Amino acid sequence: MAYSTDMGVRAIHEGIAAGEFSAREVAEASFAHIAQADEAVHAYLELTEEAAYAAADKVDAAVAAGTFGEMGPLAGVPVAFKDNMNMEGTHTTCSSKMLENYVSPYTATCVSRLIEAGGLPLGKLNMDEFAFGSSTETSAFGPTKNPWDLARVPGGSSGGSAAAAAAGMACITLGSDTGGSIRQPASFCGVVGVKPTYGMVSRYGVVAFGSSLDQVGPFTRSVEDAAYAMDALCGFDPRDCTSQHFTPHFVDALSQGVEGMRVGIVPAFMEDPGLSDEVKAKVNEAARTLRDAGAEIVEVELPHADAAISAYYVLGPCEAFSNLARFDSVRYGYCDGGHKDLNGQYEGSRAAGFGMEAKRRIMLGSYLLSSGVYEKYYYPAQQVRRLITQDYVKAYEQCDVILMPTSPRAAFEFGEIGDPVEMHLSDIYTVSINIAGNGGMSVPCGLGAESGLPIGVQLVSPQFKDVNMFRAAAALEAAYGAAPVAPAFQAGE
Amino acid sequence: MSERLTEQDVRDIATYAHIGLDDQELARMTVDLNNIIATLEPITRFDLDGVEPTFHPIGGLHNVMREDVVEESFTQEQALANAPKQQDGSFLIPAILSGGDQ
Amino acid sequence: MKTLEEVLQDWEAVIGLEVHAELTTLNTKMFCGCKLEFGAEPNTHTCPVCLGLPGALPVPNKAAIESIVLAGLATGCDIEKHSMFYRKNYMYPDMSKNFQTTQGPVAFCMRGGLDLDVDGIGAKERVELAGLDAGESRGNATRTEDGYVAHVGITRIHMEEDAGKMVHIGGGEGRIAGATHSLVDYNRAGTPLIELVTEPELRTPEEARLFMQKLRQIYLAIGISDCSMEEGSLRCDGNISLRRRGETAFGTKTELKNMNSFKNLHDGLAYEICRQAQVLEEGGTIYQETRHWDPSAKRTIVMRVKETADDYRLCPEPDMAPFDLSDEFIENVRARLPELPDQKAKRFAAQFGLSSYDARHLVEHRATSVFFEAAMELAGDAKLAKPLANLVINDVMARMNADEAFDLEASALSPARAVELVKLTASDAISSKQAKEVFAAVIDEDKDPAVIVEERGMKQVSDTGAIEAVVDEIIAAHPDEAARYKEGETKLIGFFVGQCMKQMRGQGNPKMINQILAKKLG
Repeated sequence: MAYSTDMGVRAIHEGIAAGEFSAREVAEASFAHIAQADEAVHAYLELTEEAAYAAADKVDAAVAAGTFGEMGPLAGVPVAFKDNMNMEGTHTTCSSKMLENYVSPYTATCVSRLIEAGGLPLGKLNMDEFAFGSSTETSAFGPTKNPWDLARVPGGSSGGSAAAAAAGMACITLGSDTGGSIRQPASFCGVVGVKPTYGMVSRYGVVAFGSSLDQVGPFTRSVEDAAYAMDALCGFDPRDCTSQHFTPHFVDALSQGVEGMRVGIVPAFMEDPGLSDEVKAKVNEAARTLRDAGAEIVEVELPHADAAISAYYVLGPCEAFSNLARFDSVRYGYCDGGHKDLNGQYEGSRAAGFGMEAKRRIMLGSYLLSSGVYEKYYYPAQQVRRLITQDYVKAYEQCDVILMPTSPRAAFEFGEIGDPVEMHLSDIYTVSINIAGNGGMSVPCGLGAESGLPIGVQLVSPQFKDVNMFRAAAALEAAYGAAPVAPAFQAGE
Repeated sequence: MSERLTEQDVRDIATYAHIGLDDQELARMTVDLNNIIATLEPITRFDLDGVEPTFHPIGGLHNVMREDVVEESFTQEQALANAPKQQDGSFLIPAILSGGDQ
Repeated sequence: MKTLEEVLQDWEAVIGLEVHAELTTLNTKMFCGCKLEFGAEPNTHTCPVCLGLPGALPVPNKAAIESIVLAGLATGCDIEKHSMFYRKNYMYPDMSKNFQTTQGPVAFCMRGGLDLDVDGIGAKERVELAGLDAGESRGNATRTEDGYVAHVGITRIHMEEDAGKMVHIGGGEGRIAGATHSLVDYNRAGTPLIELVTEPELRTPEEARLFMQKLRQIYLAIGISDCSMEEGSLRCDGNISLRRRGETAFGTKTELKNMNSFKNLHDGLAYEICRQAQVLEEGGTIYQETRHWDPSAKRTIVMRVKETADDYRLCPEPDMAPFDLSDEFIENVRARLPELPDQKAKRFAAQFGLSSYDARHLVEHRATSVFFEAAMELAGDAKLAKPLANLVINDVMARMNADEAFDLEASALSPARAVELVKLTASDAISSKQAKEVFAAVIDEDKDPAVIVEERGMKQVSDTGAIEAVVDEIIAAHPDEAARYKEGETKLIGFFVGQCMKQMRGQGNPKMINQILAKKLG
């Protein structure tokens, strides 16, 4: 069988192993498909053909030498990275004019782990500027479109990563998730999106937004592919002292089933007036599916969940303000030259280099950390953080995984949400997981009854028990089937 | 309870954050920030007496350190590769103190 | 302007110090593996972390944490097991991340203190102790036989990182004012730095100088820094305010910078105290401001006026896990504590029968204490302790003070030669005056004392007959002076001693000449 851009990890691996196609052919076909599909979708900001072919040649050399079997499951699998991940010699723009010309002198650990595992790096993917946003509309280089409906957003901030996976423009893409930036676009684009437990995947080399919230994870079209990606990504990195020693066995866990697993439902979430009927229906349907597969459904409470979005919009901007202070036109980045004094250069460069949402968050953080205000919002937000974390710990006494909506609704149209506050509310079901550091993933459950658009449900697991959500995800996938490439971009069309 | 930020407050915040704003942006930013700050209110609603803050999501993580071992550094060329302006192996910046008032 | 002595009669100075020490003896920076090295080509000791590149993360250097714990243990601090790093957020081009990674309300080391032995003329600056007897206390000071001891509290020692270096171009003498542009080099950025903050318990410039000197001795003894004030690896800022004697409320303080030597520290503080007194006595106001000590102009000048307290937007550092130091960690560090200067001084006094003054000054420098101990071991004679101590405290230290480049350890004056020299004097083989000449010659010519004595024919003449002959000759040659002496002008003895010594080409035993002259003239 010839290579097809719809293939998953196992099919690619078997195809290369059987000599049906070479890794170079995988790369060639991938770039050919991108050349066509990305005209419409605009997921890629940069293609890294040289690196992809170099990686492919390594795989093919191993095949020729008879050592392909030693290379691991990701050998020859096309991968791509959100553009806040450094890859030496390529641009890392964070979709900002600030970093338009920035060329990375080093490589992020998550990037090198996938490349070392034999992945073929295809390129860098569009995002909301510095990951501030839920629609990819804040990218300085134009929005990415939802492959299921080009008039709609792919979600964000990892919109390019979700769209690329959904349109078959890579088998595994990486995103980062600070408040829902992997899970929400995964739901919008009908793919699997995983935000692992904080500390499971190294953040080294990933441009920080909220350092205590950020986590890297994969987008794939199947739960199994996500498990392969996780097995390659997870583990301690001496360059990230918040990463932890952890030996992942995600692929192995998939066959364990959900017999006897306790799945928590949060009734208050299901009664939220902002939750659309079709998403609510999908979550209920998913609960039934898991129950039919042998799981036990229990009701749990998260009493401080209301405060999560407020706490998130305190903590996130404070950390962002601090993390983005380094973009000052001195060592790198956009420089508004011609000023006689440094302050003028600072203000001019940051005014022109950052977009409006970035400026809002930076300024919000600067305000929230100022004396007097710190005590009013920041400190209580960190106290609330403890309460939210305790809520989850308590909930997990009754269940092994929690099922909830990923996003209150399916993908919206471009320009539909202009008010920043309303945009922030689209993260309502995802932010508390970042605050507590739990694992969370969005699993596609087919199309919504009203919108006809993909809808995902969210599975949330205790810290470092991310295999729980993978087992539940596998059970859902068994019912719905692996997510297809969006119809307009399927191979052979 | 929450006092609204004035345009002057927002200008001061922008000055600290070193972000230049024109009058139109300032007006818009003032509206946006006040709207966002209004949504932060819920966190002040809880009884937080005696609740220890947690600054990090992973509770049990402590004392992560590295050994004092030298690693390779950048060459000067690599260090300066992205510099907007450079001179004599260093990053070049305009006057730190603006003229006139010093 | 009044002198310091005059000012301190009416005013009490309240001084606190902030002392930064770079941990120069480590191999690498605080949060990355870049090599610590002074004077390398610009920006060649940089990496994603210390250049603040997007995506880079800090990982703390274990040896730096051990060093600060060691510093805390050596200065009587409590070691806080639970602490964490914070970010001090403000934009300045020598900070690559535009925040400084430092510590928050809880530092690794809290609540320590040092005892300062103040003697000599510096002790007189504490005028309130003038009427006290030894053993009596006032405030944090206790009177001693030769001065007083002051206990100075250390508020905290926290861990942080140094900034890069800037060269300012276009202004006068490399100054920032008037510069048209600046060059930034991040080699120093991220150098491990510990900042010690004292309580405002220092009362005189002399105490401040002694505090720094003692702290430097301790840091050198525990080996955490080369403590070079010239190269900036040991830096000190002072906070100074005045209050009328008897008042308890603090006055407005100024912060004084650029005190890059012990002398500048003393002189800068002394000037600032006098300046503040003058302003206050003329009815003026002291502004909370940062001032710069200009040693050549001998005055302090305003750098920056602080209108409001600095708001550095301090926030917890989310990229690093908090610390929870184990007893084992702390005890392992404690096991590395060497004998500290105070302990050494006590031991010297007890072991060699020295006065506390001698013992204290011998340990002022690591080099002199090591030298003295080595010499005592070679001497094998407790009676030589005092003369050896005198040699070190008077001759060696004078040489060290006169010549900054003088390195005792590398010099031609070995402990063995010192013992030999002291023995020559003790046995009356040479005079103490000759000993001074031999001391200089040993260092300058790199020869043994005996060789120099031999070459220069320096034998001291202690033969009574020989000296009497010379004395008779001199008295006979100066009958007028002899007559005036007899009439009571006894200070003329000096004239006769000089003449006799001249006659004996400096080799006469001065003690014997004195005795014989007195007898014969009287």
